[in-house]
Amino acid sequence: MKKLGRTGQGYLLNTIIIVLLFTAAQLVTAAFGGEGSFKLVLVPSIWQCCYLMILAASLNLVLGFLGQLSLGHCGFMAVGAYTAALLSLACERAELFKDKEGVVFILVLFACVLAAGILSALIGLLVGIPALRLKGDYLAIITLGFGMIIINIINNLPFCGQDGLALGSAAASLYKNGLGFGTKSKVEFLWAALLVTIISITLMFMFVRSKYGRAIRAIRDDEIAAAASGINTSYYKVLTFAYSAFFAGVAGALYSCTNATLSTSSFAFTNGGILNSTFIVVMVVLGGMGSITGSVAAAVIMFFINYQIKNGSWVDALPAAVQAVFQYPMLVYAIVLIVVIMFRPRGIFGSYEFSLINLKRDLKAALERRAAARSERKEARSNG
Amino acid sequence: MKKYLSILLALCMVLSLAACGGSSDTQESAAEDGAEESSDPIIIGTISPNTGGLAAYGIGVTTGVELAVEEINAAGGILGREVQVITTDDQGDPTECLNAFNSLVAQGVGLIIGSATSGCTSAITDAANEEEICLLSPTATADSLTTEDDYIFRACYADSFQGAIAAAYAKKSGCEKVGVVYCAADVYSKGLYDSFSAACEKYGVEVAAAESTASMDVQDFTNQFAAMVSAGVDLVYAPFYYDVIGPYVVPQARAAGYEGIIMGADGYDGVPDYVVEGADLSAFNDIYWTNHYYPGDTSEKVQSFVTAYEEKFGSTPSAFSATGYDCVYMYKAAIEAAGSAEPSAVRDALADTSAVYDCVTGSFSLDSTGTPIKGAAIISFADGGDKVVTELVEVMQASDLE
Repeated sequence: MKKLGRTGQGYLLNTIIIVLLFTAAQLVTAAFGGEGSFKLVLVPSIWQCCYLMILAASLNLVLGFLGQLSLGHCGFMAVGAYTAALLSLACERAELFKDKEGVVFILVLFACVLAAGILSALIGLLVGIPALRLKGDYLAIITLGFGMIIINIINNLPFCGQDGLALGSAAASLYKNGLGFGTKSKVEFLWAALLVTIISITLMFMFVRSKYGRAIRAIRDDEIAAAASGINTSYYKVLTFAYSAFFAGVAGALYSCTNATLSTSSFAFTNGGILNSTFIVVMVVLGGMGSITGSVAAAVIMFFINYQIKNGSWVDALPAAVQAVFQYPMLVYAIVLIVVIMFRPRGIFGSYEFSLINLKRDLKAALERRAAARSERKEARSNG
Repeated sequence: MKKYLSILLALCMVLSLAACGGSSDTQESAAEDGAEESSDPIIIGTISPNTGGLAAYGIGVTTGVELAVEEINAAGGILGREVQVITTDDQGDPTECLNAFNSLVAQGVGLIIGSATSGCTSAITDAANEEEICLLSPTATADSLTTEDDYIFRACYADSFQGAIAAAYAKKSGCEKVGVVYCAADVYSKGLYDSFSAACEKYGVEVAAAESTASMDVQDFTNQFAAMVSAGVDLVYAPFYYDVIGPYVVPQARAAGYEGIIMGADGYDGVPDYVVEGADLSAFNDIYWTNHYYPGDTSEKVQSFVTAYEEKFGSTPSAFSATGYDCVYMYKAAIEAAGSAEPSAVRDALADTSAVYDCVTGSFSLDSTGTPIKGAAIISFADGGDKVVTELVEVMQASDLE
């Protein structure tokens, strides 16, 4: 047997840990899934974290690794959400499955997720080909416009605006007949959300680590030099854009499972919640541009902050003055962002990728750096 | 050193913000402290948009609920048990609404008042049915929200009625050609458009033009109203929320050369407070809208509510406060009829169509889907010199729809 290199060992370790965690999650779900706050709070939160993580990581491909500002990322998510929702409704009408049970439903579920990704990627390709000829601000404007166009088209399509999904109790047909999950089925299908997330993040990670990843980082660092070294810049840019759109679509499919009702206001440029194109950019910047694990962490952190300030029971224990700030959640996000950018301008993770096998080494190196910096400052002070 | 200074500055910022909002909060916590002494209180949860673009609705609902609960507790509670309220915020966003709902249920709340808008409420109706939690919405008017055999009820009329009333009023005021500016993406706006145009067809009023906007919070209506002018309509039905009516819809409609009547729905409540300073107030003449109640109503019920509200909060209660207030009293009546605060028992009591609720927004009973059968007040805006004033035109009942 060939001896594994360090990278190989790392992959093996990650696989083992992920499989162990996944099994543990399954066991915990089986043990506590039926009742109480596990079912009502934790599981819906995990679902929401799952799609936020995929979404933030997918935008990081374009924003952090390719270095192009895209402001319409939620547009791709909307495409994915509506594709998955409508496909599941069509399957139900064709009587492929009933009551969200059986192997067929699971197949339909994954088919919906895949279809959502593929359609989003196709649209990403269509948008990307003309848009990526532009740079910087101009690209930002085009993608911003695209996000709005998508939402307007969806609103006005007879089969997917309010008309299409609002048959029966308002937008509830998705819940009753499609892949919209209530709390009980969210527990039952938690494994599916986790699986889709793990696969998506892994695929994005592999993309960044591959020769494609090296090429797009070269384009980010210096486009002219990259082109001079024989990298087909347009090809790689459009490819990355479409690849990123694919996962935004997958995130959209998970979104429509989580929220049994869809409304395009959730995918707008800005809105009241934390799911909008602006906030996804914020998540990427907060986590660190160029770090997939950073985006994953930032998505969870943002979700946690958002959820906790509104619904956390510990909030009642705080002094009235702090609670008063929490009445304005948007202010708290802004303060968090300002504080993070002030102390860590490159985001929480910077371009560092969390890795289990290197954890010990990285921690040691970080501590050493810190000690070195401190002694340097001390020296400077005693000299000055 | 610089680092510590900036931490200090950040802290100062947080604390100064806290000081701004502090005063309102102490009141609430004082009220809560008083209620905690009871051994077995009835807990009612509210979900409403307390922050964000539709904050006025959320504040309206929560203040109305607060007033009603205070009155009930002062009079000995419901079945001798104290009432407590847990307030949650959905920011007008369906995802947040579902989170708030789940969090309330996890805290053991079985009776919920919410949410204020149809879009948010539609996100939680199925969850409420699945968890068997009573959901009583103060102002979610979309038709499809309540169905038979479910846990969803409301204290307001439905859009099919509201749109039809507007059409009946259009017919009555002699309009022959009407237009609609609406948002196809929103359950509320689209629902009103559908019922209004259906009723217009019934009354023989021609809907000559219909224009849609991208979302409920767009800020440019010029093109839509230019289309209305060129279609030559006498009345434009524009079902939007207050946050765009005062600053954008009305001034832009007049600027686009539209001189006729603008007709709206209950979303117009609160418009006078959101008119841009220095705006031409004559633009607000000829605007009519349907509402759940009129604060100037002389009936004793309305007047005692308005007086108590003004005394406590220092402002005129909106329809959101009135329906929020009514929701609490509807729960009170239902709990007393059921003799228990168990969600399933309360649900059965609310589903009883013979029960009559004597409320601020009228004396009504619920139909088999859980929607009140009551009239709508037609209210007009007018230029009152230094501010926009409201005036009751008439109260139309369901019988006026024939």
